[in-house]
Amino acid sequence: MKKLLLAVVAIALVFTLSACKEDETTLVIFQNKVEIDEVLRDYAEAWGEANDVNVEVKSCGGDTCAYGTQILAEFQADEQPDIFVIEGMGGYEIYEDKILDLSGEAWASDTDLEFVVDGTTYGFPVAVEGWGMAYNLDILTAAGVDPADLTSQAAYEDAFEDIATYYAATSGMADYAVVSMAAASGMTWVTGLHNFNGYLSAGLAYTDSSVIDDVNAGIADADRLAEYANWVELLFTWGDEDILLTGGYNEQVGAFANGEAAFLHQGNWTDSSYADSTFEMGYAPHAVMATGNDSIFIGAPSFYVINKDSDSIDEAKLFLNDLSSTDEGHAYMVNDANMVPAFNSVTLVPSTPLSAAVLEWNQAGNAYAWWQNDMPSGFGMDTLGPIYELYAKGVKGVSGGITKTEFIAQLTAEIEDLG
Amino acid sequence: MTNEGSKLNKIGNKLLYFVVSTLVIMAFPVILTIQMGGKLLKKDLLVFKNKEGEGKVRKFIIDKWLGETYTAQNNRVFVYFLFPALGSFLLFVALPFFQGLWFSLTDWNGLNTGRESFIGFENYRTIITDYAFMYSFFRTVIYSVLNIIVINVVAFSMALLVTQKLKGKNIYRAGFFMPNLIGGLVLGYIWQFIFNKAFVEFGGALDPSILINGDTALIGLIVVVTWQYAGYIMMIYIAAIQNIPQDLVEASKIDGANMFQRLKAITLPLVAQAFTVALFLTLVTSFKQFDTVTSLTQGGPATQLPAWIGSIYDKDLLPVVQSTNLIALNIYSEAFDNYEMGIGQAKAIVFFVVLLTFSLIQVYYNKRREVEM
Repeated sequence: MKKLLLAVVAIALVFTLSACKEDETTLVIFQNKVEIDEVLRDYAEAWGEANDVNVEVKSCGGDTCAYGTQILAEFQADEQPDIFVIEGMGGYEIYEDKILDLSGEAWASDTDLEFVVDGTTYGFPVAVEGWGMAYNLDILTAAGVDPADLTSQAAYEDAFEDIATYYAATSGMADYAVVSMAAASGMTWVTGLHNFNGYLSAGLAYTDSSVIDDVNAGIADADRLAEYANWVELLFTWGDEDILLTGGYNEQVGAFANGEAAFLHQGNWTDSSYADSTFEMGYAPHAVMATGNDSIFIGAPSFYVINKDSDSIDEAKLFLNDLSSTDEGHAYMVNDANMVPAFNSVTLVPSTPLSAAVLEWNQAGNAYAWWQNDMPSGFGMDTLGPIYELYAKGVKGVSGGITKTEFIAQLTAEIEDLG
Repeated sequence: MTNEGSKLNKIGNKLLYFVVSTLVIMAFPVILTIQMGGKLLKKDLLVFKNKEGEGKVRKFIIDKWLGETYTAQNNRVFVYFLFPALGSFLLFVALPFFQGLWFSLTDWNGLNTGRESFIGFENYRTIITDYAFMYSFFRTVIYSVLNIIVINVVAFSMALLVTQKLKGKNIYRAGFFMPNLIGGLVLGYIWQFIFNKAFVEFGGALDPSILINGDTALIGLIVVVTWQYAGYIMMIYIAAIQNIPQDLVEASKIDGANMFQRLKAITLPLVAQAFTVALFLTLVTSFKQFDTVTSLTQGGPATQLPAWIGSIYDKDLLPVVQSTNLIALNIYSEAFDNYEMGIGQAKAIVFFVVLLTFSLIQVYYNKRREVEM
């Protein structure tokens, strides 16, 4: 018994000690996209051989691994990663003491999406995501709608009417949706975050945070809100009732992927659903303001940062620079990892349709910012989301719904509560 | 070492202490057994020497617990063998509970671990002014009362049915029990589909889906939970009904009692014990309902706060709330969506106290109805 115990302890010790051995020239990347683990590993290995660095990629994310918790353990274990990932301001505040100042790096001049706090650059945008009104070009063309015209609420209204007329005139299209929009309980991220972001950023310069700052200070802009509410009304009026009131993500995206919806209110992460879709698609801007909407909402959901206490800071900086500027780096990001790079010098086009559209809008400089994550946590999804659900019911004439006036009043009251 | 580093070290140290103390507590009886060579008792094992008894109490303690007598040594060994159970209880129940009490008095948000500061009863004050929490409580009580009644009526009826002389009653028993083996989350998704896609085809009250109205969604939830849980409660009633002495039943038959008289005078009083257990179980699970409602309705559909709650909180514009946002769900989203761990913890404590009170009252009244045989 004793011997067995001893043996077990000894084996455990040997494993721990051998795991602690460190190689001085190692560059450890600890990242949170499990789906790109393998391709990043391949890219890092090739890069490491060319630059004489031993690159180690560790991935933790998805449902099975909590990145935020695991990274604390990584720091604790003295195998500190040299490059790790933060998801915006929340992460920055936790690891503030650990994050290296990256001002003046070459890649920063090639992008508008770097992570900046008080004028100092800290984060390298891993990828770009974006959403707008995804459209089915086949349906739009058949209904006589030109997506390039869709910049005002009036244009959208005409387009929706034309499409409805086209559906009515064509056999077999009675069940087709004009807009695939979801506002049910589980979809409050679509309404309370993505849609509401229109109020926060539409028509403003990319770095203009005046509206979000006002919201966080408890000030609602009545005119802007009224204009925005018209857009929500338009979406709900033409949204398919079943999808709007009871649909989940699968129903919402499924209708569009099957070619049974003209417009979809979702981002380019839905690309994985379009393997069997045969129609052409693209993005049109949200018509948050009555006229003059020319951009879709584009942002970087996560950033690579460099560990200030790392022994291989120079290698880490070189790795990021090469990722953004070399052909191999571009090929890895676009072709292997299926991401939309945040860098303007990238000429490769993603093979997936909506990602390609996001890249095009981004490189044309037509982007409105993401401010939805700067609201207090839970505010968008848990506080605002249910208001949209009630308004959707009101628009569809289901009992318990609210009117547009009440919708605006509710939003105003909740915003003012933040002050 | 930076500030952050030393903080992380502290967390690590705490973790280490925790693991080591657990191991020591767990290993104690093992070591003891090894040392004793398999025998329960070894002479002079861990004897407290130089203890002498003076006075009655002191003598009693030393004779029974501290001295060299056979009884004292034996008693001590029993205590040592309590360690794993006691240790795990302390580590995994008592310690987290008191830690939770402490956290409910701090501004802990999950990210400032180790730096949280004591803010007194501020969190509890926040809860009292939180109309959404009040509404959640109100909905949970409604849900629980209805749920307890429906589950127990259905379960007891099924138990009566499958204890009759019936062909294939074992198949029925297994069948009724089966839904309980499906996880609540899965069940919620399945029934969401049934309500949203299948039932609407029947039209009438089922179209549009009952899940888009707050009150019918609550009924839908009760249907799902009853479908799942009644089979389990049925098993408890079956066991109780089978324990009724047959001579009583036969005697009553000879006396000419019909089925309802037998049910009223014999079955119901004699299964009162099972009612205590079943009501307790359904009460607790109803109040703690989380998984099924999470997947079935995600707390929704949205609705406006009832006017009477609004008037308590002086709201002219009735705010929008989630109609099946039961209390466990409310606590969860407070803690993990809003990162207000302190407030979430305080809510959990309030919830604990209320649930404890309700279940004590329930058990007290049910116990009085039990019949001793």
